[in-house]
Amino acid sequence: MLTEFGKIFIFMLTAILFTVVAIFVARLIRPARPTHEKLLTYECGEDTIGSPWVKFNIRFYVVALIFLIFDVEVVLLIPWALVYQQFGVGGFLVGFIFLFLLGLGMAYEWRKGDLEWIRPELKHSVLKKTKTEKQILKEETVA
Amino acid sequence: MNFQSLINSLQYIKPEIVIAVVIVLVVTTDLIMGKNKSLLPWISIAGLIVASFFVIEQFSFKAVSSNANGSIGMITADPFGAFFKIIVIVSSIIIVFFSLSSNEIKEAFERHGEYYTLIFGMILGMFFMISSADLILIYLSIELLSLSSYILAGFTKHSLRNSEASLKYIIYGGASSGIMLFGISIIYGLTGTTNLYLLNSFFHLPQFGGFIFWLACILIFAGIGFKISAAPFHFWTPDVYEGAPITITAYLSIASKAAGFALLIRFIKVTFIDSVDASGYWQLLNLIDWKSFLILISILTMTLGNFAALWQSNMKRLLAYSSIAHAGYLLLGLAVLSDQGLIAILIYFAIYAFMNLGAFFVVMIIANKIGSEEIDDYKGLGYSMPFLSFSIAVFLISLTGIPPTAGFIAKLYLFIALVDAKMIAVAVIALLNTVVSLYYYIKVLKNMYLVRPEKEMPAVLVSPAAFAMLIVLLVPIFLFGIYFTPLVNLAKSSIGLMGF
Repeated sequence: MLTEFGKIFIFMLTAILFTVVAIFVARLIRPARPTHEKLLTYECGEDTIGSPWVKFNIRFYVVALIFLIFDVEVVLLIPWALVYQQFGVGGFLVGFIFLFLLGLGMAYEWRKGDLEWIRPELKHSVLKKTKTEKQILKEETVA
Repeated sequence: MNFQSLINSLQYIKPEIVIAVVIVLVVTTDLIMGKNKSLLPWISIAGLIVASFFVIEQFSFKAVSSNANGSIGMITADPFGAFFKIIVIVSSIIIVFFSLSSNEIKEAFERHGEYYTLIFGMILGMFFMISSADLILIYLSIELLSLSSYILAGFTKHSLRNSEASLKYIIYGGASSGIMLFGISIIYGLTGTTNLYLLNSFFHLPQFGGFIFWLACILIFAGIGFKISAAPFHFWTPDVYEGAPITITAYLSIASKAAGFALLIRFIKVTFIDSVDASGYWQLLNLIDWKSFLILISILTMTLGNFAALWQSNMKRLLAYSSIAHAGYLLLGLAVLSDQGLIAILIYFAIYAFMNLGAFFVVMIIANKIGSEEIDDYKGLGYSMPFLSFSIAVFLISLTGIPPTAGFIAKLYLFIALVDAKMIAVAVIALLNTVVSLYYYIKVLKNMYLVRPEKEMPAVLVSPAAFAMLIVLLVPIFLFGIYFTPLVNLAKSSIGLMGF
């Protein structure tokens, strides 16, 4: 007898086997004549420039995160849009709260300057600071 | 599908709704007011007070929400949860006042909006942890609490120690929540449900037990043990407590731990209970020997905490190890597996919140003044800061558990519960541990009063706000040390969990 998990296992097994068999069979029947050009790293038909291990600007991640949030928003709003008529005002309010929170998040990003590519420097306000360790050590050596 | 039953269930999460609204309010105010952040703490305190009214209302509830199809839902509302929520609210209010006089937090002035938002994120996570009756919600709320606290632990960005604390916390936390999720998935695979009440009825069937089941429970305990910093899941505690801003350290050591304990008690009692006998002892299902397991863990935790604290030279690390030791004592109260043990835990937590917050508060004020948290720098403070030194002496004596402070009452009820359950040997071990703890608490006092400072210290005055805060924290220590009947009565009336 097969449980629900068993079905998933068979599904996974089929997926893995399909890929492995396809690659293996292709290797058996294809001709293998490597040339210099064929062995080059492929990058959209262009010659590669430099190492791929470069530092990315952290702003890319912020943009990616914002994109992700709105992507998920669409995924969540489509089923809501399909059924919300059945729920009347309550259903509308639920969707509205969700959209409001997302809008608030967007406003937050905007206000804090995260939508600018070069983030404006925040001005540090001058505050009375406590003694740091260095200051204390300095005073001790003076004394 | 029944939309109305979902709306009806909203009445069980009124405090959580208030907290969520306050998050939105804090963010909006932060955006509108721009550079002026002085309003934020007051909005937070007002929100907490409003939430506390709804929490007090929950003392009269004993209910569980229902799903759209009428089955048992994810949220419970009962006096037990309300008691822990009150502890969380009180410590949150005190932490907001701490933050007002903390130099570390003041320096990160432009990020105050995020600070209060994340604190409320933690509160929301803790509230759901306390009242959840479903493994999925338990996992989600632990994640909500953890994610907020990871960021807060590294809140002062430019300090190296801070970033280290945050990174260590996130690595340990990620690993332990993964382990917990694995345990939950095994339980789900065995039973097909994640609801604690349904699990309990499943476990009455004879076919459960065996190695896989045992493993799953231990894995879930590992996740909760991380939150309450029980050995052997405590390794993050000293480093994170030392590195994090001191307000957050104090908060983690009380509120986060209280929520973890509430969760652990609910998990063990609701899931594994068979019956409660006339004298209040819980008969657990014969699946796992929770009693021996908890005794083992608690003795390990308190011994390790107390002995490691002996060698500490940093005040925050010392308090971190002391909080591990206290988690050990509290676990003993659970190991009794009786209503009496539960009362002892509730009393212990109420008192522990005040004395631990007090100790951290004084350490913070002293660090603000002398810029150091090393015990060696406390030499002669008894003469230059008489009131502060007196307060920390009271808090440390109370943490040890010496009369007439409230810490004595907390330990007294715990030991009575142990002796009544005929766990004399365990009580003796706990008592010996208390004696060990006396040494390192008194070492601090010795440095302050008996050692002359290397150089003359100017007399330092405490600001009126800090003075008022200290009085607020000192009064319960003495009051509950002498007149503790109201607290005991409150604890006795709050042991009711939904279903039992």
